Amino acid sequence: MRLLKTLRNRLRLFSLILVLVAGWVGAAEKNPQSVQVRIRTILAGSKSDEFDPKLKDMERQLKPLKYRSYRSLKDDTQSVPWQGTGSFDIPGGRSLTVAPQEFQNNRVSLKVRLTEGAKPELDTTVGIQNKGNFILGGPPHEGGTLVLSISATAQ
Amino acid sequence: MRDCENIRESIGSWLDGELSAAESESVRSHLASCTDCGEAQRRLERMHLALKAALTSQAPQIEFTSFWRGVERRINEKRTWYEDLLDGSRRLFTAPRVAWMVPAVIGLLLVLISMDFVPFRGSRNSFASVESIDAYGRSVALLRQPETRTTVIWLYQDQEGENETAEDPAKSAPTF
Amino acid sequence: MELNDWELVQKCQAGEMSAFQELVSRYHQKVYMVILGLLRNREDALEVAQETFFRAYRKIKSFQGGSSFYTWIYRIAVNLSIDAQRRQKRNPLDFRESMDGLLETQNEVARDPFSDVHDRELRETLLKAINDLTPEHKAVIVLRTIEGLSYKDIGEILGCSEGTVMSRLHYARKKLHDKLSAFL
Repeated sequence: MRLLKTLRNRLRLFSLILVLVAGWVGAAEKNPQSVQVRIRTILAGSKSDEFDPKLKDMERQLKPLKYRSYRSLKDDTQSVPWQGTGSFDIPGGRSLTVAPQEFQNNRVSLKVRLTEGAKPELDTTVGIQNKGNFILGGPPHEGGTLVLSISATAQ
Repeated sequence: MRDCENIRESIGSWLDGELSAAESESVRSHLASCTDCGEAQRRLERMHLALKAALTSQAPQIEFTSFWRGVERRINEKRTWYEDLLDGSRRLFTAPRVAWMVPAVIGLLLVLISMDFVPFRGSRNSFASVESIDAYGRSVALLRQPETRTTVIWLYQDQEGENETAEDPAKSAPTF
Repeated sequence: MELNDWELVQKCQAGEMSAFQELVSRYHQKVYMVILGLLRNREDALEVAQETFFRAYRKIKSFQGGSSFYTWIYRIAVNLSIDAQRRQKRNPLDFRESMDGLLETQNEVARDPFSDVHDRELRETLLKAINDLTPEHKAVIVLRTIEGLSYKDIGEILGCSEGTVMSRLHYARKKLHDKLSAFL
């Protein structure tokens, strides 16, 4: 009986602590001021076997694309305000524009436009997990193929 | 003048000689004049005597030589390192004050992992949800990598209109 | 000239086994009585008492003399007894059997102040009531009743404040009193 009472009390206290912490985390989530957007531009090719060490953390995501080589061309990060836009230069005369829309349930909604010069190539609206990423690939460049990793972190 | 409830809570400490001189005098003078509290004091004294008799009456005298032989045997016996570890860890995980820390630490770790303060492989990414896509007339493929839970948007190139051609034309969309 | 405890400890730290033996001879009975008060089983109490001195021997070099030797040895004894009590509680049948066995052998003890039925019933009820206390409450009752230790010494042994000792004693006595009211 005593043991049960002790366990119940400890469980109550533990749950209270968990609720308080969850509330604090939730509160922190509700008011992110801007989004840190990171664009990693990678050149994937089939001529040589080369894996750029800078891309080590992305190896598991890139290998399934089945290219023989992966080289990091650019790595840019910008802090973009909500409903604002951030523009990133992509090698080969392309440009990527990212506009964070909203933050909900730990997910960041982004509008993304890829242009070649002034010509839009792709428009997409994507919801990604906070601090997560998605991959946009396919445009040719210098004998290989561009692969873009687009990630966002709400701040 | 302290009330009877307060005095009764102090009778034990007074009998133990653990009160200050002033408190002791306060208790003593109340007990001298209050019948009920005086009776409470006598009951506590009787209980103390009964306790002492119950706890000490059955204790046999331990013969020292055989007792010392038992201690010596333990000293000379070799203990394995894991027996020591088990002894130490048993106390650590069963002591109530510490045992309750175990679920608390687990809970804290879970919170920290969810906040990404503690890196936890595989926990960062989940599939992106593609709400809309417009490739301006080009073909586009939407793919998902199950192992890394990565969403891939693959843009095909319109080969007729392109000036720039790769030596290796852009592959068909990667398959997983 | 008889050496005091600290002098014996220092000799022991220097490797003199005879000094440790002298310490054991001074305290073995007291330590055994306290452990028996907590465990209520002679064989277990003997085991734990010997284990207490064995552990003290292994840790003797870390004893700095900050507390008295007897509070230090009692602390080891009480901690081991509390562990043993928890194991006892997980095997209630074993404990019940040992309690019965202990009560049966009471007749073998030459000096038995509980000569009549009323007193025997009181003792049985008392022992059961003590056993129903938590290990921490039982420890304060045993240390105070058997050894007459001060709240300060009890606090040092149990690693708590004098205030905690006082409140635990008060709680334990109240619990025991409630169960024994018919006899008192």
